[in-house]
Amino acid sequence: MEKVLDLARANSIWPMTFGLACCAIEMMSSAMSRFDLDRFGAGVFRASPRQADLMIVTGTVTKKMAPVLTTLYEQMPSPKWVIAMGNCAISGGPFVFEGQYNVIEGVELLVPVDVYVPGCPPRPEALLEGFLKLEEKITGTRRFPGPENRW
Amino acid sequence: MEQIGNMIGWETVKMVVGLVGVLAFVVLNALILTWAERKVAGHMQRRIGPKEVGPYGLIQPIADAIKLLGKEILTPRDVDKPLYYLAPMIIFVPVLVSFIVIPFSASLQVMDINVGILVILAFSSLSVFSILMAGWGSNNKYALIGAIRSIAQNIAYEIPLLLALLPVIMMTNSFSMRTIAEAQSGLGWFVFYQPVAFLIYFIASVAETNRTPFDLPEAESELVAGYHTEYSGMRFALFFLAEYTNIFIISAIAVTFFLGGYQGPFLPGIVWFLLKSYLLVFVIMWLRWTYPRVRFDQLLNISWKALIPLAFINLLVTGGLLKL
Amino acid sequence: MVERIKTELGAALEGIAIADASYRERGYHLSLEVAPGELLNAARFFDERGFYLSAIICVDYREYLELVYIFSNHASLCKVKVSLKIDPAKPVAPTISTIFDCAYWHEREIREFYGVLFDGHPNMTYLFLHDGIDSYPLRRENIPVSDEDKRALGSFKPGEGEDTFFVNLGPQHPSTHGVLRVVLKMDGEYIEEAEPVLGYLHRMHEKMAENRSYQQFLPNTGRMDYLGAMSFNLGYVTAVERLCGIAVPDRANYVRVILTELNRLSSHLLWLGAYLADLGALTPFLFVFDDREQINDILEPVTGSRLTYCYFRFGGLYNDVDDAFVTGTKAFIERMRSRFSLYDKLVSGNVIFTNRTRGIGVITKERARKQAVSGPVLRGAGIPMDIRKSEPCAAYGEMNFEIPVGTRGDALDMYHVRIREMENAVNIIEQALARLPEGPIMTEKVPKKLKPPKGDLYHTVETPRGELGIYIVSDESDKPYRMKWRVPSFSNLMIFPELAKGNMLADAVAILGSLDLVIPEIDR
Repeated sequence: MEKVLDLARANSIWPMTFGLACCAIEMMSSAMSRFDLDRFGAGVFRASPRQADLMIVTGTVTKKMAPVLTTLYEQMPSPKWVIAMGNCAISGGPFVFEGQYNVIEGVELLVPVDVYVPGCPPRPEALLEGFLKLEEKITGTRRFPGPENRW
Repeated sequence: MEQIGNMIGWETVKMVVGLVGVLAFVVLNALILTWAERKVAGHMQRRIGPKEVGPYGLIQPIADAIKLLGKEILTPRDVDKPLYYLAPMIIFVPVLVSFIVIPFSASLQVMDINVGILVILAFSSLSVFSILMAGWGSNNKYALIGAIRSIAQNIAYEIPLLLALLPVIMMTNSFSMRTIAEAQSGLGWFVFYQPVAFLIYFIASVAETNRTPFDLPEAESELVAGYHTEYSGMRFALFFLAEYTNIFIISAIAVTFFLGGYQGPFLPGIVWFLLKSYLLVFVIMWLRWTYPRVRFDQLLNISWKALIPLAFINLLVTGGLLKL
Repeated sequence: MVERIKTELGAALEGIAIADASYRERGYHLSLEVAPGELLNAARFFDERGFYLSAIICVDYREYLELVYIFSNHASLCKVKVSLKIDPAKPVAPTISTIFDCAYWHEREIREFYGVLFDGHPNMTYLFLHDGIDSYPLRRENIPVSDEDKRALGSFKPGEGEDTFFVNLGPQHPSTHGVLRVVLKMDGEYIEEAEPVLGYLHRMHEKMAENRSYQQFLPNTGRMDYLGAMSFNLGYVTAVERLCGIAVPDRANYVRVILTELNRLSSHLLWLGAYLADLGALTPFLFVFDDREQINDILEPVTGSRLTYCYFRFGGLYNDVDDAFVTGTKAFIERMRSRFSLYDKLVSGNVIFTNRTRGIGVITKERARKQAVSGPVLRGAGIPMDIRKSEPCAAYGEMNFEIPVGTRGDALDMYHVRIREMENAVNIIEQALARLPEGPIMTEKVPKKLKPPKGDLYHTVETPRGELGIYIVSDESDKPYRMKWRVPSFSNLMIFPELAKGNMLADAVAILGSLDLVIPEIDR
């Protein structure tokens, strides 16, 4: 029974539109015609957090935005997941320097992250790979053979 | 079976079987339509829709449904509890009642009430109720604005809807859906006699179900998600289900009134009925992915200043022609 | 024009020395220094002669703070720099927001970053920063914010009225503008007041510029406006080259033009898709991304990135274009021309679309000048000014194109101006490709550590959104002393509150879309 639920949840993850900065354009690209994300069931980007399962944090999180992010995370009903996309969401990105006063170094300081997708910005294929990794995390098996299994 | 039939009466058995069938059909229809919407959207946007989840993505809606069932049932703290809980349940009542009188074929109709269309129209006004409950009870400004827009829109467009159906009723002298379907034998479909009424009915019904280009109550880019912003999990699924079933119902009414119902050569009646209904559903989906949204005051202007006068003139002309 | 202004200015303000500046090296024609009492007279002088306020910049020279005002003209090229020195211990200056409306936000920004009090300013609250910041960020020394300052800055509280209520548009949007929050005071379906709240993506680019060398700052330029990254790159690189006096070979100039125009095309395409998605038509969004992918296919083998390009270097380019690029671009141009007719049929003729955009958000020429809007918004309002024509950099001076101008100043005009700009971009690419000369792509002898001579420079470039102004103060070291970016979206957003007043919520979204804002460049 758990397996059926996990399979269903992995195959129909509905992301929430949470584009902050440059990575948002690559996230939109990955949902568009060339790198279609709808193939895996993640087509419907819901705007309201109450109807979404996945929060893809794309872009830099600043101190002013942090309370908004945590509020949105708490409004999502569980089971919920978070993908940190881009260097800024993973660890502050290129905006960490001595004397910096406004950037939060990594979204993992605010919410628990499931998958990290590095890049500045990561290619849409990288986001798709991150998505497949998330499905693997939920169900335990991987949908397509991964890059390490090819040879 | 014979004994049960004689004990309770055949009518009751037929009604129970019919209701079960209707419920099954509603669920199946919703599944098919959610899949079709994403596939149609995908192909119109030069991509393929769901593909990985089963062959051609056919299991996708089932995955969606199971996922929604398994979500946490979240009730925001400050909602008005009775209204918040009842709204998704009440929105199903008009849907189910409407299915009772739709003639799927010459023999497949749960009950042929002689004021069939009046029942449907009366109950569809109730859906406005549930939208208001959802919007008010959610304790959320966006939901409230969405709900108020939806109520104004629904009230404004009910009148042209009714006025567009009246000429057909006048021509057949009956409110019963079966009679109206039967009256269009051969090629005497009412769409050829009443093209204006068909158009008005179509536009008004698209507005009634809150679909683009009239989907201001759920305007994503302005209002987050309109009146169902605060609903999650299964309750949201119920709203979703009700919307897709409504689309089917209005297509079914259009087919019965204007496109000959279940009549057609060679194939059994039900096949023709489903074919025609789903064709209209496809056209409605096509509209959604082609047109931008109409602004709210323009929406009301279309109804009060264009559709209603046109429908009145049509009614008068029909009445005049019938007298002669 | 410059001579005339100089004589008239000399007559209007007695006792002020007006210096001629070398336009090629400094970016402005005249420079003068005023005392605080004279500032308003100078501002009025420029207002009467139809100038607009390009930027207000504050530089911290430790012994004094200098406020630099740059005035420019739409009709003919004449830039004047007015500077004002103030005491760093108690920084006070008069406000010119009564004369030039665009100074309203520039002064708020200087207030929170430097602590300069502008008296007479109606609203000195936080624009970008928030209550957790303890010192003035851009001051050279760590000067803490006093408590009463904190209270004054943090006192923005929307007050509820009798029949009105507040709606927040954002910061989490389904539309693609980014993290902009607009607090709308609504009366039913109509907006009474709109107050944008910025700073949700403030990434401290200007402070980073003071801590990084000129080379190291190059990647930052692409991230400020990620949709028009090439043009920001171009602006930065040409600014530093102008400051140092580096000449660029011809082939590099032509390639710069081609790539910047491709980026302009891609940025306008995204605007088109996003605008229609805001209005409810979701399908053109996907068609637009298809075209963008074609552009990325051309640009990626040459520049190495898909979105945040960092391709230009001081003195030229870092990688040469090859024949595959040329053939690919020619094929793309042909395909793009046929796509224009597709968009025309799908969008321009659509009755619902024209009804949603005609007459919405009308900008008059006078308001456009006072609020210092630029770019397609300015041209839609009826003023034919394009920096590619008036101050060409790279090879723009040799390109042949017309400036599209709107007549009514509403959102539909902005749409038509941008469509014609897209067609212009395709024409420019074609011309540049035909004339692409052979030769080196990089000048020799560009030092690894660039140390520009002492001085300041105000350099402008036309990005897809409007006028980008870069003000660099160099003190002969390899790090800039101060670098200020005057971004077009900041000025374009200033006009939004007055446009939104009295309109419906759906119209506010349409107006916001027609201004084409990219929030990371506003927040820098």
